[in-house]
Amino acid sequence: MSAVFKTDETFRDDFKYSNSPRAIRRFPLPFVEDKYMYSVNIEPHVPGPKDSITEFQFDVDEHYIGECRDREIVLKEDPLRYQALPHMMSAQWDVLELLMNHMSKDYPEQFSLSKQGNRWSWHNKLLNIKNEFTFGDPSTLPREPLDYITRQAQGDFVVMDQRDGDFYIEAGMVTTPADWSMDFDMGMSFKEWHGPVPLAHELNVFDRALKFLLNLRINEPVRRLNWTMTVNPRLDTSPEFYPRWGSDRASVTADNVADKAHIRVELQGLWRLPRSNAMLFGIRCYLISIRELATIPKWARRTHRTLRDLHPALVDYKGLTRYRDHVVNWLAPLDDGSPTTSGNAPE
Amino acid sequence: MLIRGIKSKPVYTPLAPDLGGRTHLLVGFGVGAEPLTRLMADCTLAGVTKASRRLLYVTDKSASMAMHEMMRHADAGEVQLFKDSASLLSEFETILKASIMGTRLYVAGPEAFMGLVMRIAARFNLNRDEIRAEECGSPARRVHCIHCRAATEDVTTNIVQCVDCQRWLVVRDHYSRRLAAYMGVMIDAEVPGELPPIEEVFV
Amino acid sequence: MSHSHTFAVTVTAITQVTPLIKHFVLKAADGAQMPSFSGGSHVVVVMKGATRVYRNPYSLLSSPNDLSAYEIAVRRADQSRGGSVFMHDHVTVGMTLQIAHPVNLFQLDKLALKHVLFAGGVGITAIAAQLEDLKMGAVPYELHYSVRAPDHAAFADRLLARHGDRVRIYHDSAEHRIDIEGLVAAQPLGTHVYVCGPTPMIGRVLASARAAGWAESHIHWEQFSAPPVGDPFDVFLKKSNVKVSVLPDQSLLEAIEDAGVDAPYLCRGGVCGECKCRVLEVDGVLVHNDHYLSPEEKASGTLIMPCVSRAHGKNLVLDL
Ligand code: HEM
Ligand code: FES
Repeated sequence: MSAVFKTDETFRDDFKYSNSPRAIRRFPLPFVEDKYMYSVNIEPHVPGPKDSITEFQFDVDEHYIGECRDREIVLKEDPLRYQALPHMMSAQWDVLELLMNHMSKDYPEQFSLSKQGNRWSWHNKLLNIKNEFTFGDPSTLPREPLDYITRQAQGDFVVMDQRDGDFYIEAGMVTTPADWSMDFDMGMSFKEWHGPVPLAHELNVFDRALKFLLNLRINEPVRRLNWTMTVNPRLDTSPEFYPRWGSDRASVTADNVADKAHIRVELQGLWRLPRSNAMLFGIRCYLISIRELATIPKWARRTHRTLRDLHPALVDYKGLTRYRDHVVNWLAPLDDGSPTTSGNAPE
Repeated sequence: MLIRGIKSKPVYTPLAPDLGGRTHLLVGFGVGAEPLTRLMADCTLAGVTKASRRLLYVTDKSASMAMHEMMRHADAGEVQLFKDSASLLSEFETILKASIMGTRLYVAGPEAFMGLVMRIAARFNLNRDEIRAEECGSPARRVHCIHCRAATEDVTTNIVQCVDCQRWLVVRDHYSRRLAAYMGVMIDAEVPGELPPIEEVFV
Repeated sequence: MSHSHTFAVTVTAITQVTPLIKHFVLKAADGAQMPSFSGGSHVVVVMKGATRVYRNPYSLLSSPNDLSAYEIAVRRADQSRGGSVFMHDHVTVGMTLQIAHPVNLFQLDKLALKHVLFAGGVGITAIAAQLEDLKMGAVPYELHYSVRAPDHAAFADRLLARHGDRVRIYHDSAEHRIDIEGLVAAQPLGTHVYVCGPTPMIGRVLASARAAGWAESHIHWEQFSAPPVGDPFDVFLKKSNVKVSVLPDQSLLEAIEDAGVDAPYLCRGGVCGECKCRVLEVDGVLVHNDHYLSPEEKASGTLIMPCVSRAHGKNLVLDL
């Protein structure tokens, strides 16, 4: 069963957003046991079961149109959410090629790509975008290649150059960040941009992850899940616009918590880019309200226990301080104490 | 949100000669005179010639007149004194344009000054293994407002009002070399007016 | 490190360019375009000899902008482990070989303000592909290429035709040697130097650059990924009560899986900690290749990460 694309979703103002039963079933709950702590949870990005979010390298789902539309709104107000330093041009083409190849192969009804040597023709039927261009010649596209293709993809994308045994953020499209600023982090190294994360440095998570990623090979992408919580199904929780959305956190009450509070999961993929030897970091975001999540009994029990026992440093870092108790209290009656099976499958 | 103890905050170490270099460019501000004087003495001891050293220095009032005089006669092949950072930075850039591989940069002074020097150095692809820096003098911070992108200079308090958008910003330890500034984030965005006490912390 | 990610290529042309060097053209066996790569990359070629499998790394010398084929040059090294001799004596046009995706450990620095490249002999291979990348960009570059006249004339002509006066050819005789010391002495800030060639030449470039005060981050020489082979060894899995032989080109984890035993894993790269396994007995030494165990744990000899680590010796018993 493939997705039915919604056409009128919004991620701001009136927040017209919900998950279909299919989307709930395939939601990537990030808790594989009843507790959570940072670890080097990296695994090969190999195809998962049919209809799962990892069936394909780039998941396109029912929220596609609304997410692309929200990105356009953000960029209009804050164009610096897209940036690419001049030396990242070959990496830009790498990303365009990777996305176009996979999207057209995996979703042939929605996207098509044909190539005649360097003459490429791209048709995005969901957004009604059609372009013919010369691969490698930026003047033949309406925007820079990375800008062009990531406006047509779900999730944020960060591109890093590799030098002297480290990675540096030097290009990207980030309109749906979980409270971090690419503009501020541009040019930073792996440990610098991870500076604000508590505990993980001491657990050697970043030392190990960096060593692993430096040797990541072409055609052997990896993935990991990361999570936080967001009030309202808002995609753009950027520090830039925090004055607009900060008050959401104080708006959660015992009565509205189930619909307002959302678990936000990021399926993060890492690809070595072949022409540039740069690294692509994709952050594909999934939002689910506590009410939707609780339709799966195992997830309600597990999420209750995990949030209840979450390390205080993570509660603070993820910005949950003002409303975590409401979430835990709402979930508590759904947790009868019975055991949960390991792994994140619904049962 | 983590405020203190963020790993992007640069770590500085006392200056010492890098004997791998062939030309040694010393750049200082105010009380930065002291580490630079020590460095020049150490260079001489280590056999680095006077001719291979060049000094650029801002005669800021954080150092005494006597110190300024000492720098005027510093033990370097060439010495240039400047009244303010802006004129030093523009001369520094001109010098880098004509410099060759084998150059080492030593910077001493307040972090806010060093950040600006190192930002220019980065444009010339001077890497971290070609630059040494020692912090001294005012720990006041340069703060980049994450909301309106303006820089507020000489911040000594945990919370500061942005010079441009007027929001009250909490100063985090998250530091950007590209912007040569710390991140400032609105402190009362969640509940307007909810401000913790303002304290002098970077003094 | 798993080696399952190889693909089949067909040898479509072989040229003897010098008495010791053969040049091979490889095309995808399925007729597809070759995977993209960046200048400075190498591929590991897997050769199945009569008695053993060879895995040798060779630089890609063809243009990253022409993906119809890969080109490699192989210098015959009689004293080596045998891969190059195999390439010279047993590989013929039409044969199929397996190669891994390109890896680049000799990358151009993208922030460089100028590139100065030195090559000697067959060392030109990795550099030739880098020049193609540089030709597309706006940053100045120059190549100084030393050849033992007239052996490499073919390569030299090709480079001169492509890059004109950015390339200087030197004939390796006393009166026409590259003045490496002079060339590194007065380069503008932000220059990067690259060298690939015979060991003495690499040594001279590194020494000259360092003597001229260059910092290490500006000095680059060709490196290959270590041939991903180890010695074969046997392991006994106590709980499952099976004996497993680990082949040279197989990880311990892969061998365990092939024997039908379910072992935990996540990253398969020695960082996540999932596959950590207790060592019950070991007669020999453990070869720890992971970044997970602490030095103390490694020294204790009681833990191993089967996804990347191995053993040397007669007997290894695991708690699996
Ligand atoms: C290489 C590409 C990666 C990029 C560009 C990236 C980027 C980021 C950024 C921007 C943040 C937010 C930091 C802030 O608060 O300002 C973050 C958080 C984090 N990253 Fe990464 N990351 C990458 C890879 C990884 C990997 C491989 C790991 C593996 C363990 C990892 C673990 C984490 C963790 C644990 C957090 C804290 C998340 C939370 O609690 O919400 N990251 N990352
Ligand atoms: S599987 Fe991750 S360390 Fe072995």
